[in-house]
Amino acid sequence: MSEELYKQMAQSIIEGEKETAIELAQKSIELNMHPLDTITKGFVVGVNYIGDQFGKGEAFLPELVMAGEAMKAAVAVLEPELLKLGEAREMMGRVVLATVEGDIHEIGKTLVGTMLSASGFEVVDLGVDQPAEKIIGKALEIDAQLIGMSALLTTTMVRQREVIEELDKEGLRPRIKVMVGGAPITKDWADKIKADGTSEDAVGAVQLAKKLVGKE
Amino acid sequence: MPPLKFLSDEDIKAMHEATLRVLQEAGVFWTHKPSLEILQGAGCTVKDNRVFFPPNLVMESIAKANKRPVIRGRNGQVNELGGGDLYFHNLGGARDVFDARTGTRRIATDQDVINSTRLLDALPNAHTITPFFTPQDVPGELMSLYMFRHCLPHTTKPVQGPGIQFAEEVKYAVEMARVVGIPASELTLSLSPVSPLTVHDHAAAAVIEMAKAGVVSSNLPCPTGGATSPMTITGSIVQQSAETLCLLVLAQLVNPGCTFVYCGRLGMLEPRTGLIWGGVELGLSSAATVQLGHYYGFSVNVYGFSTNAHTLDAQNAFERSLNAAIPALAGADELSGIGEMEAGVMGSFAQMVLDNELAGSVLRLHRGLSADAEHLAVDIILDVMNGTRNFLGQKHTMKHLRAGELALTKLAERNSWDTWEEKLERKQMADHAIDEAERILREHEVPPLEPQQEKELDRIMAAAETEMVKKK
Repeated sequence: MSEELYKQMAQSIIEGEKETAIELAQKSIELNMHPLDTITKGFVVGVNYIGDQFGKGEAFLPELVMAGEAMKAAVAVLEPELLKLGEAREMMGRVVLATVEGDIHEIGKTLVGTMLSASGFEVVDLGVDQPAEKIIGKALEIDAQLIGMSALLTTTMVRQREVIEELDKEGLRPRIKVMVGGAPITKDWADKIKADGTSEDAVGAVQLAKKLVGKE
Repeated sequence: MPPLKFLSDEDIKAMHEATLRVLQEAGVFWTHKPSLEILQGAGCTVKDNRVFFPPNLVMESIAKANKRPVIRGRNGQVNELGGGDLYFHNLGGARDVFDARTGTRRIATDQDVINSTRLLDALPNAHTITPFFTPQDVPGELMSLYMFRHCLPHTTKPVQGPGIQFAEEVKYAVEMARVVGIPASELTLSLSPVSPLTVHDHAAAAVIEMAKAGVVSSNLPCPTGGATSPMTITGSIVQQSAETLCLLVLAQLVNPGCTFVYCGRLGMLEPRTGLIWGGVELGLSSAATVQLGHYYGFSVNVYGFSTNAHTLDAQNAFERSLNAAIPALAGADELSGIGEMEAGVMGSFAQMVLDNELAGSVLRLHRGLSADAEHLAVDIILDVMNGTRNFLGQKHTMKHLRAGELALTKLAERNSWDTWEEKLERKQMADHAIDEAERILREHEVPPLEPQQEKELDRIMAAAETEMVKKK
């Protein structure tokens, strides 16, 4: 019975059917299934599958987003149940995401946020146009292990370096790791500004984040 | 989509009238007695080995012809021309094979005819297959029939008969088609008159046989603008049209209502080398040929992929893309040229794979755009503005991705420099095409013919050999 339901859960994520995912999450509660099992044996299987497919070039970006959003919606239904049980989903880590100061583009960063939370990270997304002190301040406030910074413009990507220099000055690295991303960002750039890594897409960003927090 | 027009309606009417004048006043060199008798009987004037066509006879012949051909493959798959769909077929009759892996060329053999057919069978945008190579290891008189014989067992797609030269070939081609379940009325055969305006005896005899058999005739006039037709493109198209319509007149007198495809193979002279083909005028003249053929209500087949290039290089890509896209946008019913290189002298397996992908993009262009409420997507814009502020997660996005809003290429390189360099080892599109052609030839299987059918084809070839080779 539950095996069949887990399969349907995974399938709802693969198909990006948010409403179905929510219904299945609610059904699992009615059936007294353990919410952690529901997440790890059901929904996560779907997220992993679609991520793998995307990595192989066999799924589309919109499918990834729809899967991520369906996952978030399902987890939102299950989280109160976990709290009631006094349990929590094992957190991969805490991440602060932001688009750097002077830049207002965020679709890629938002997608990374969706995929990170779908994969079990706690994500605080500060949004766009964020100065270094705000990003670092938030990271300290929530005791984040990771900062992820995005920039779309070649004129704003230099701000990523400022945040990293600031972190170094305060002696906060390697306690806080830094990932950078965005259309103009290359591996060369990430190395040059001494970031801890970059990825071209959201699935790669999740893998990188897991590696940086030692949960590979 | 509305067809792209290079000529106004008045221009096309002027070309039509010019064509009738050429047929009436210049006439066609023609010496084949039996067909001249038929033409004279219908009102043509014959004088000094030339036949002159009265305009009303030409117009009657155009009116009589079946203009909506259906061509069939041996599994029953059919292509219906003239309904607005665009079909692609490969180049027919190339002498050489370009080995893209080594950058060398060699003379084609019958094994290349087989392999090219099997490869094209696997490529979804090769809708019709015509025997690709002219194998040099069979007797010359039988070459066209051998090409057809080697083609039939290795595809289930509609097969275009080979270009023929002699009346006897018609009979054997029709017999072979029948063995695999293709009736004569759904088999295409073609022959080429000689430019300017010359029909040799064996061609005239073959036209009569084709008409009697009731095959779909798609004759291919091949004038060279500046050498065997006027330097001006519209003048060459007028002559080309006269060259194809004079054959139509004879066919309709022999078998009224038989099926006819209006084809053009005009190539402009490259005045620095004496060769023809790859320049953008090819696309232009093909597009104008489509427009004139459609004026008569015919289905039109013209050159598509065409280049003078000898390798899979930048010239190759730019020439074949333009030359295919322009007539496609003009509404061509069929475009030729998949796999073609070096002005039709050569072909390559990797090029076939590349053209399959290019055809996919041309088909996307040809499909055009839709501006209905679903596509204008105002409701989606409203939802997104009130919600997530991006369209990635919208069901509308996936729905239209799946419905083909984008032509999703398989070989074209769409990655970043880093991915391309590290994961893809700097491979380019042509490298992927070479790999893919090799993979298909390794893996693709075509349902074989029954042993009895193979025997029957051999018997027909033996009979053809007795009649056609020993006679000489």
